[in-house]
Amino acid sequence: MTTFDPTSKLRGVTADLDALLRRVARQDVEAFATFYDNTRARVFGLVLRVLRDPGYSEETTQEVYLQVWRSAAGYDPAAGTPLAWVMTLAHRRAVDRVRSEQSAGQRESRYGAATVEIPADRVAEAVIQLDEQRQVAQCLDSLTDPQRECIRLAYYEGLTYVQVSERLSANLATIKSRMRDGIRGLRKCLGVS
Amino acid sequence: MTEPDDLLTLATPYALHAMPQSDIDDVDRLLAQAPTSVAAAFAEEVRAVRETMAMVSASTAAEPPGHLRDRLLAAVDGRTVVELRPRSTRGRTIVFAVAAALAIGVGAAGIGFAIRPVPKPTAAEQIFAAPDVRTVSGDIPTGGTATVVFSRERNAGVLVMNNVAPPKPGTVYQMWLFGANGPESAGTMDTAAVAPSTTAVLPDLGDSKTLAFTVEPSGGSTAPTTPVFAALPLV
Repeated sequence: MTTFDPTSKLRGVTADLDALLRRVARQDVEAFATFYDNTRARVFGLVLRVLRDPGYSEETTQEVYLQVWRSAAGYDPAAGTPLAWVMTLAHRRAVDRVRSEQSAGQRESRYGAATVEIPADRVAEAVIQLDEQRQVAQCLDSLTDPQRECIRLAYYEGLTYVQVSERLSANLATIKSRMRDGIRGLRKCLGVS
Repeated sequence: MTEPDDLLTLATPYALHAMPQSDIDDVDRLLAQAPTSVAAAFAEEVRAVRETMAMVSASTAAEPPGHLRDRLLAAVDGRTVVELRPRSTRGRTIVFAVAAALAIGVGAAGIGFAIRPVPKPTAAEQIFAAPDVRTVSGDIPTGGTATVVFSRERNAGVLVMNNVAPPKPGTVYQMWLFGANGPESAGTMDTAAVAPSTTAVLPDLGDSKTLAFTVEPSGGSTAPTTPVFAALPLV
């Protein structure tokens, strides 16, 4: 999109996203468009990673942003940054969709192939800085394999921690500590306060 | 999970949505009764997990299709953008049943709708039942026919396409309602949507005088980018 302002990089735009979200709460369409442009690649990318189906991901992304539009007034800055807020909404909706497909017995047929090719040029290089992606990749690499596997199964495959423990034949306490320690490792590596 | 320590071990799976809804409800109930310090520690853990995963989302970033932005802005701006989808077989049957009734009605006014098959009127039935219902039909140059049954009073129409060839890969058919303010998109049909017989409801005719069709890139366009290849006058 040509509207992207190169001076507002995601890491530094928390204050901007805050202000935008307050304007979205007053049903400011322009602010909503800017909020969308600053978060869309992260939201769509996460939803696509969980759902793997571009069409369903588009629908779910649309639902996420319509929820942003309707519930921006309910955003509580004390509970986290606007980015974490919208990513939490997105993850929740994607996981709900995966679970409803699973319960309808459709996951095998539609998710069987389990691969989505994302051409490099679709990655939002303008919004997500390459050095940030590199840093995240390095931090993910710094986890132990069992920690990374737990987070992958729970966060991207939409499994509950009980299902993760069944899948990995490990007890619940072990799975919970792997998840917790994995996230703590990431948090420290990424310098999240 | 009634002990505070046990509760805290659930903060990470809770923050990652790695629990069924029933467990989340249980945790919420326990948190409401837990000591403030435990609830605060839980909330802090959840916050930290979610901030961390927000950072991690850089690694899965992917651009959504451009039309999603247009659709969202149109939706929040109060305008209506309608995705045309093929109706169920049942809907199609109703359309043709009522269309048949209409044909009878031409010769024997008033008796046609006695055979209306379902008690709860669908959008299509309401259109067919409108006193000012009209039908326009035309051949699509590349084959097949398009028919619109519409009512100004209902401000809606039903489009039926028969034996229309699907659009080429990477393109869609886009419907436009031409009114005083120029063309307004009435939705798109991709290859999957164009069945041998396709029915779609046009819920907002406005002051449009023509329903026109163009070929557009996948996902549709905000305004026609190719010449109209078929048009039906809505008069």
